[in-house]
Amino acid sequence: MTIVGLGPHGEPAAAPERVTLLPQDIAAARARNLRVAIVMHTVQSDWAKHLIQGIVAVLGDCGAIVMETIDCDFSPDLQIAALDRLRGERLDAIISLPVDNAVVAEAHKRVSAAGIKLVLVDNAPTGLLPGKDYVSLISADNFGLGKMAAELLARQLPENAKAGLIGFDADFFATNERELAFSRWMEINRPDVRLTTTRFKAVASAGEATANMMDANPDLAGMFVVWDTPCVEVLSTLTTRDMAIPVTTVDLGQEVSISLAAGGPVIGISAQQPLLQGQAVARTTITTLLGRGCPEWVALPGLGVTRETVAESYQTIWRTPAPREILRGLDLLT
Amino acid sequence: MQNPKTNANQERPRGRPRGGDLVAASLCEVLNLVRLGQADTRQEIERTSAFGRAIVADRLATLGELGLIDEAGTGVATGGRAPRLVQFCKERARIVVITLNQSALGVGIADLSGQLLTEHHEPGDLAEPRACIDRISALVRWIVSRQAKVTDLWGISISVPGPVIANPAERFIRTTPDFLHDWGNSGLVETLLREFQTPVWISSSVEAMTMGELHGGTGQGETSMLFVKTGKRIGAGLVAVGRPYHGASGAVGLIGQLPVTADGQTGSLDRMAGTDMIEAQGREAAATGESSALAELLSRNLPITAHEVCQAAQMGDPASTAIISRSGHLIGGVIATLASMLNPSLIVLAGSVAQTNDILLAAVRETVYGVSHPLVTRDLRIVRSQMGASAALLGAASIAVEALFAPSVLRDWIMSGSPVHHPEMVESLASANRSEPKVQSVAPPPPAAIRT
Repeated sequence: MTIVGLGPHGEPAAAPERVTLLPQDIAAARARNLRVAIVMHTVQSDWAKHLIQGIVAVLGDCGAIVMETIDCDFSPDLQIAALDRLRGERLDAIISLPVDNAVVAEAHKRVSAAGIKLVLVDNAPTGLLPGKDYVSLISADNFGLGKMAAELLARQLPENAKAGLIGFDADFFATNERELAFSRWMEINRPDVRLTTTRFKAVASAGEATANMMDANPDLAGMFVVWDTPCVEVLSTLTTRDMAIPVTTVDLGQEVSISLAAGGPVIGISAQQPLLQGQAVARTTITTLLGRGCPEWVALPGLGVTRETVAESYQTIWRTPAPREILRGLDLLT
Repeated sequence: MQNPKTNANQERPRGRPRGGDLVAASLCEVLNLVRLGQADTRQEIERTSAFGRAIVADRLATLGELGLIDEAGTGVATGGRAPRLVQFCKERARIVVITLNQSALGVGIADLSGQLLTEHHEPGDLAEPRACIDRISALVRWIVSRQAKVTDLWGISISVPGPVIANPAERFIRTTPDFLHDWGNSGLVETLLREFQTPVWISSSVEAMTMGELHGGTGQGETSMLFVKTGKRIGAGLVAVGRPYHGASGAVGLIGQLPVTADGQTGSLDRMAGTDMIEAQGREAAATGESSALAELLSRNLPITAHEVCQAAQMGDPASTAIISRSGHLIGGVIATLASMLNPSLIVLAGSVAQTNDILLAAVRETVYGVSHPLVTRDLRIVRSQMGASAALLGAASIAVEALFAPSVLRDWIMSGSPVHHPEMVESLASANRSEPKVQSVAPPPPAAIRT
């Protein structure tokens, strides 16, 4: 599958296969006794857990010890404090998912200036340059994910419908890309659809933002939520109001998968592949620590998931059997 | 908001300057001293400008009222009371920056110091000007809507993939220059003026990227830099004595037209070494099986562009490496001539081919170091840009900031507090508002024709 989007500086994507480790690379890494820290926006979501799992496994194969995994709880202040503290540790590399843009940029620059290799996940603060301020950015093709979500929703939207876009009120590369791709696809391919946008500041307020949007737009015929965790809040709001309009989102979290299997309100999901992404992050980290160049932007394609494919996609992405609630929703259990 | 002082500045008198002109000139000087970091206390402004204490106090008060200067901070005491810091309010307004190239478009937003705050890049097709302009408008609306705290927009600066010959008599453009086939009548500038009611600037992408590299990339602090952009077209920018060099008519660096010879063939550098050649040779190598990596793409019906050839070369495919090396040697030959004449301390390679692999860089280095006089290359660094398309956005921001605060422009709007009230800008906007869109928006495609 091709990558649709461009990197944070307009870079064309490099496939994850561009960063490979040969047995001699692994042996060389093991001889180095490497030390790595992981700084995440959250460690609570399914996506984050699997990303970390992918990173830790490959680093383990290479004898690199993960000294700390930090949960920043989406807080720029917590992330800045964590990065500043980690600069004082004897670390070879820090893998970070920047929780904001300009606010956390300088703290990330200080990591590189201290001689610690910085590998970014999903977001590159504006002003940081690959090869200078960080090694590489590894993310999903978020532009492709947004486009995919638009295509899935458009199938269920009647002519001249009004659709809601529920975005994240933070300057964040991944969610910006999804939002822009969604609206672009609609503008080009469904110009009859009128889009209305609202944004939430925190996951917990996504339901309230949706409720306000629904009050102002009682004729909404569908919605796109930029990732699955806030989508759960949106689904709760829909249930409270006894409404069942079609919804698409990003990431195959358990609750949205169950809704998809049950026939709605979630009717389609564009899913990231966090385990594979985590493995690519770790390979990139080891590659740079061995002194070799890395692509500026490594991107992984998304996976379009419908009710027909949700069980198998669940297995593909989470490497575990789909829960019984999903199988029950698909009428696969007697 | 209209300032009552504006009217006094509407007609500039000839001959001896009047009081209003003198006030505007001193306001400009004080503002630019602070903005450029040459003075940050009242005492330093007095010392640097030779204005008296009363005039400096009056001008700072005026600039404070206009929201351009802030004196809230305090500096370091050197005996006695700590001085108040005078700082430029870079958050007073925003500048939108746009970059167009053959296959992508980017949009960003910058503060008044020219610092890029956020950016976005996506695929685009310049072959469809109207659809492209519609998308640019949508992206500008989106990025401005994300600026909750700063709502004033003081300009839109665009970098385009072609030469832009400026009219020195026109400080605010009103119409779209003919930078590429079909774009002179596209209505790009007119649409942006009409929709966003703010000044628009257009510069060539090579010029903008050179400025971006100078202000935010490897070129920071360099006084002598040659910037070369590789792509479908190959162009160069020059920094001399720390400033961009524009040439007699702004047509500096059009090196893509120069003839080069390879394998018995002679053609322009663009044709012989640009991405069209790389793509054509990559397809040929795929068809003949000379490149196994590209042949595999062909067998799967996947596209083969210059990007795929670059990626295959980076992965070690010999045929692709030879294609990129040949391009690099041809470009290197032209660069060596330029370097021998200009003796730069830094050469920066940018553009899609240079960005995706190191082979082009290696070939250029080999040629330049091999054929140039040792004195030319003794301290010469040849590097690859790390900025990607961000260089064009950052450079476009610098171009807008320099244009806004150039004393000859600033003196005509500073009393009103906004460049939108500059007399020539007011005329430009009136002209744009009177004009109708030249081309209607494209009709929606049939449902079957889903596009990306």
